[in-house]
Amino acid sequence: MIETTTAPFPTIRLRPWLGILATAAAILASWMGLVWAPTDAVQGDVYRVIYVHVPTAWLAYLAFVVVFLASVGWLWTRRPWFDALAVASAEIGVLFTGLFIVAGSIWAKPTWGVWWTWDPRLVTTAVMFCMYLGYLLLRSLSSDFERRATRAAVLGIIAVVDIPIVHLSVLWMNSVHQLPTVARIGASPALDAQMGMTLGVSVIAFTLVYFALLVERMELERRRQAQLLRSRA
Amino acid sequence: MSPLGRALLVAARELFAERANPDGLAAALTFTGMLVLLESLAFGPGRARQPDVASGVYWIAVLFAAILVSARSFDRDLEDDAIDAVIALPGGRDALYAGKVLALGAILLVVAAAAGVLSIFLLDLDIALPGQLLLVVLLGVLALPPVVVLTSVIALRVRARVAVVPILSFPMLVPQLVAASQGSAAALTGDGPAALAWAGLLGAFAFVYGVLGLTIVPAAIE
Repeated sequence: MIETTTAPFPTIRLRPWLGILATAAAILASWMGLVWAPTDAVQGDVYRVIYVHVPTAWLAYLAFVVVFLASVGWLWTRRPWFDALAVASAEIGVLFTGLFIVAGSIWAKPTWGVWWTWDPRLVTTAVMFCMYLGYLLLRSLSSDFERRATRAAVLGIIAVVDIPIVHLSVLWMNSVHQLPTVARIGASPALDAQMGMTLGVSVIAFTLVYFALLVERMELERRRQAQLLRSRA
Repeated sequence: MSPLGRALLVAARELFAERANPDGLAAALTFTGMLVLLESLAFGPGRARQPDVASGVYWIAVLFAAILVSARSFDRDLEDDAIDAVIALPGGRDALYAGKVLALGAILLVVAAAAGVLSIFLLDLDIALPGQLLLVVLLGVLALPPVVVLTSVIALRVRARVAVVPILSFPMLVPQLVAASQGSAAALTGDGPAALAWAGLLGAFAFVYGVLGLTIVPAAIE
C-alpha cells in the first residue's frame, strides 16, 4: 500500500530564493560569457558557445544521476516524493540534453563544417536523449500511480549506465570531438584562467536554474499526486 | 527447489511452449531470412557481401528477431494467465526473468545460426577466422536477452507495448550492436585481436545487464 502524502515537499521553502539566485547567476554568467571572457585566439567568438554547451552537458548528466538516485529511493521506500523527484529531473534532463545537442551542433558548423557528424560522442548523446524520451513515454502510457513509478524506477536505474558511455566515448573510440576539457582524469582543466572562471560561473548558474525548475516541477507533481488521492477517495 | 532449478523449469516450459506452437521462432526465422534477401537488393550484391555491411545487417536482423520472439513469449503468457501463476510461486519473479532470458537465448541461437548460414551461402562470404566469428556470435546473442526481457517486463501491461519495447531496448542495445557488428566484421576480415576485444565487450555487456536484470527487474514484474 502506498502512503501518498499531500504535505508540501521539504524543498518548497527554497522556491523563491532559488528563483532569485538562479536569475541573478544567469545574468552574471551571461555578462561574463559574452563580455568579460577573452576571445579565443583560434576560434574567435564562436567558442563562447562553450558557456552553454558544457553546463548543459553537466546538467544532462546531473539530471539523469538524480533520476537514478530517486529511482533507487522509490524502490527502497515507496515514498511518492522520490517518484516526483525522478519525473521532474527526467523532464529537465531531456530539456537540457536537447539544448546540449543543439548548442553542440551550433558550435560544430563553424568549427567542423557540419551541423552533425556520426561521431561517438554525438551519437551516444543522441542515444541517451532517446533513452530518456523512452522513459517519459513509458510514464505517459501507465495510468496506475504505483505501477508507473515502479516501471519508471527500474528503467531509471538501468539507463544510468549510458552516462559513463557518453562521457568516455571520446576516449574509447576515434572521435573528432575534443577530449574532456574540464573533467579530466588525473589532470587539471585545459582552459585559460579567465575562461575557466566564466565556465565555472556558467555551470553554477545553470545548476541553480536546474534546481529552481526542479522544485517548481516537483510542486506540480505533488499537486497531481494529491489530485490522484482525492479521486481515489 | 533451488533458484537455478526454478529458472531452468521456467526456461523448459518456454521452450516446450515454443515447440508446441513455434510461431515466435517461425516469425523470427522468416524475418531474418527476408532481411538477408532484401540486403542484397538494397545494397547490391557487391556491397552486400562486404564484411561491415553483412555484419551490420545480420545483427540488426537478430536484434529485431529477439524483440519478435520475446513479444510472442509474453503474449502467450498473458493470453493464458500463465504469468500470474508463475509470479505467485515462491521465487517466481526471479525465476520468470531468468527463465525467459535462458529460453530467449536458446531460441536466438537457433535463429542466429540459421541467419548466419543463410548469409554465408547467399552472400558468398569469406570467413578468415571461423573460431573468433563463432565466439562473437555466441556472446552477441547472449548479450541480447537480458535487455530485451528486461524491457519486455517493464512494458508488460503498458498500452502500445509492441512499440514501447523496441523504443526502450534499442538505445540500451547500442553497445551490443556496435560490438557485435564490429567483432563479426573483424572476424570475417581476419583481424583476430579486434574480434576478441569486441567479444570481451559483449561478454561484459551480457554480464552487467544480466546482474542488473536479476537484481531489480523482479521488482517490476506485475
